[in-house]
Amino acid sequence: MKRRSFVAAAAALPAVSILSGTARAQSKEIRMIESGGASGDSIQKGYIDPLFKKTGIKVVRESPSSLGKLRALVESGQTSTTLFELGSGIVLQAKKLGLIEKVDWAAVNPAAMFPEAKNEYGFGYQYFSTIMAWRKGVKEPQNFTEFFDSKAFPGKRCLPDYPHYCLPFALQATGVPIDKLFPLDVDTAFKKLNEVKKDVAVWWKAGAQPPQLMKDNEVQYSICWSGRVVGDPAFGVNFAGGKSDLSFIAVVKGSKPEDKAAAWKLFYEMSLAENQAKAAEVISYTGPSPELDALLPKDKLWQFPTSKQNKAVQYFENAEWWAENGEAVNKKWEAFKLSL
Amino acid sequence: MRTAGRPAPRGPEDDDAMTRSNGFSFIAPLLVLMVVAFNAPIVYMLGLAFWEKGRGFTLEHYEGLAETPVYLRVLGNTMRIALIATIANVVIGYPLAHWMRSLGSRARMFAIALVVLPFWVSILVRTYAWIVVLGNGGLVNRFLQWSGLTDEPVSFLYNELGVTIGMANVLLPFLVLPLFAAMVRIDDRLLQAAASLGAPPRTIFWKVYFPLTLPALAAGALLVFILCLGFYVTPAVLGGGRVPMISNLLDTLINQIPRWEQASAISTILLIVTLLIFAAYRRLDRKASA
Repeated sequence: MKRRSFVAAAAALPAVSILSGTARAQSKEIRMIESGGASGDSIQKGYIDPLFKKTGIKVVRESPSSLGKLRALVESGQTSTTLFELGSGIVLQAKKLGLIEKVDWAAVNPAAMFPEAKNEYGFGYQYFSTIMAWRKGVKEPQNFTEFFDSKAFPGKRCLPDYPHYCLPFALQATGVPIDKLFPLDVDTAFKKLNEVKKDVAVWWKAGAQPPQLMKDNEVQYSICWSGRVVGDPAFGVNFAGGKSDLSFIAVVKGSKPEDKAAAWKLFYEMSLAENQAKAAEVISYTGPSPELDALLPKDKLWQFPTSKQNKAVQYFENAEWWAENGEAVNKKWEAFKLSL
Repeated sequence: MRTAGRPAPRGPEDDDAMTRSNGFSFIAPLLVLMVVAFNAPIVYMLGLAFWEKGRGFTLEHYEGLAETPVYLRVLGNTMRIALIATIANVVIGYPLAHWMRSLGSRARMFAIALVVLPFWVSILVRTYAWIVVLGNGGLVNRFLQWSGLTDEPVSFLYNELGVTIGMANVLLPFLVLPLFAAMVRIDDRLLQAAASLGAPPRTIFWKVYFPLTLPALAAGALLVFILCLGFYVTPAVLGGGRVPMISNLLDTLINQIPRWEQASAISTILLIVTLLIFAAYRRLDRKASA
């Protein structure tokens, strides 16, 4: 393509998209990149299947979803992927980097949702917890002070290889209560980790690692994602001091209007309590509807991150603090890892 | 042999020029593919550290690297582990290749097949297999405890030992195959000549045999070392997150943070270090063959 015609085409592009926007065209198929595994299956069963039944719109899933992939998508100028799953802290980062678009909440017109899930830049679709768990048969810790006390609770530990999952728990072990964790005292947290690092056999990167390592008896105690361990008779769990967090689905920058129109339809399906209950059958994570608890099986309420008894004992992720300080903490984290 | 009646024979230079031009047209597609699919993206990636959209030339990312010594220390750690794994490979691989040379042709084929066989299995599977073998409840530890050699399980995994074992296993064929090829080419008569002049076996090995294998050994070891520098899967799985290596750091910088510019600066330094090692090897090689 000649340079001039390329420029002309580029200039004409917005005009074309405005036209198609006014025509209210709507795609019959959009693509989504999500985090995969059982979580992806829960999106399929809870939201994608009902959407297809009602509207005939297909949503094709891919995984996994890393921020680097999103940056590559946007910088290469492609528009084939419309939806992208991001963690709560990552949404702020992606917004700062200009990688995602605002959600048109008026067009979504969702059912009732918890306010923190209705983000300007994303649909908070899945609450998940990061909690302590252990292999059945060992002494059971009640809080993180006990969890990190290897004299009273002997056994190898498996901790996340991510500072924002590890540091707040280490800080709790020094006696800081969950409502006073932020702003995070990073140095004290690292001091605690330095004391306990000899008991940590594995620092996990993938959520599937800790349950497997506990089953193999390589480690006895883990900090891991709740959905991976609750309901498995091989493990004991405790939500006390755990971290409650929210995963978001965001819209990739530069997505076509007709794809976005389809995305708003999916967001609407995601806001319905009955669909969220279907998703919770696949994985023990919960959606953002205040009416959801009533639809969940009573005997399994203890497994869910948002049920009353669990929500009360956990802290909620402070995404703003991490967006501000994450990179500096990451460098300290790499230095800490070198000292292992 | 030239046939009689042929026109005046062309000089060797003409022959060379001819093969060169013919050869070039044959490799042109590959060259284009390499430039478009491999070299251009690498140059673009390396350029990321110097050039920022809308801001022009910058050295900020290299300054950032200098201010964050931890990144360079991870690079140093990577070199150290690569060196350990390479030495382990040489210590295991050299005797293996030497032994394979002494086998009959049938047994030799069998041995080569066994060395090459792991290539057909995914590196991920091979790496995970070590967990079954070396884990606390693994085969080796169960044997050690059963035989009464140890009471507690020995920690083979989730430390540098585990990573070294895993890397040595994956990379062994890269050392053994070229080394074996060089050993097979050694003329037995050279060794016999040395023996007939009264040299004891030890002297024959060190004065004749070993120097003849040295270039292949150095090339193989260098190849293994360079591959070690970029290892990702094995440290991630067998290191238990306790053996920081440069690829794992790059993964964090590229996929999670994502600071491609910083990752690009680190990659550039890694590339330069690798090229320097390669240049040093070429010098050594030329000296050795001169």
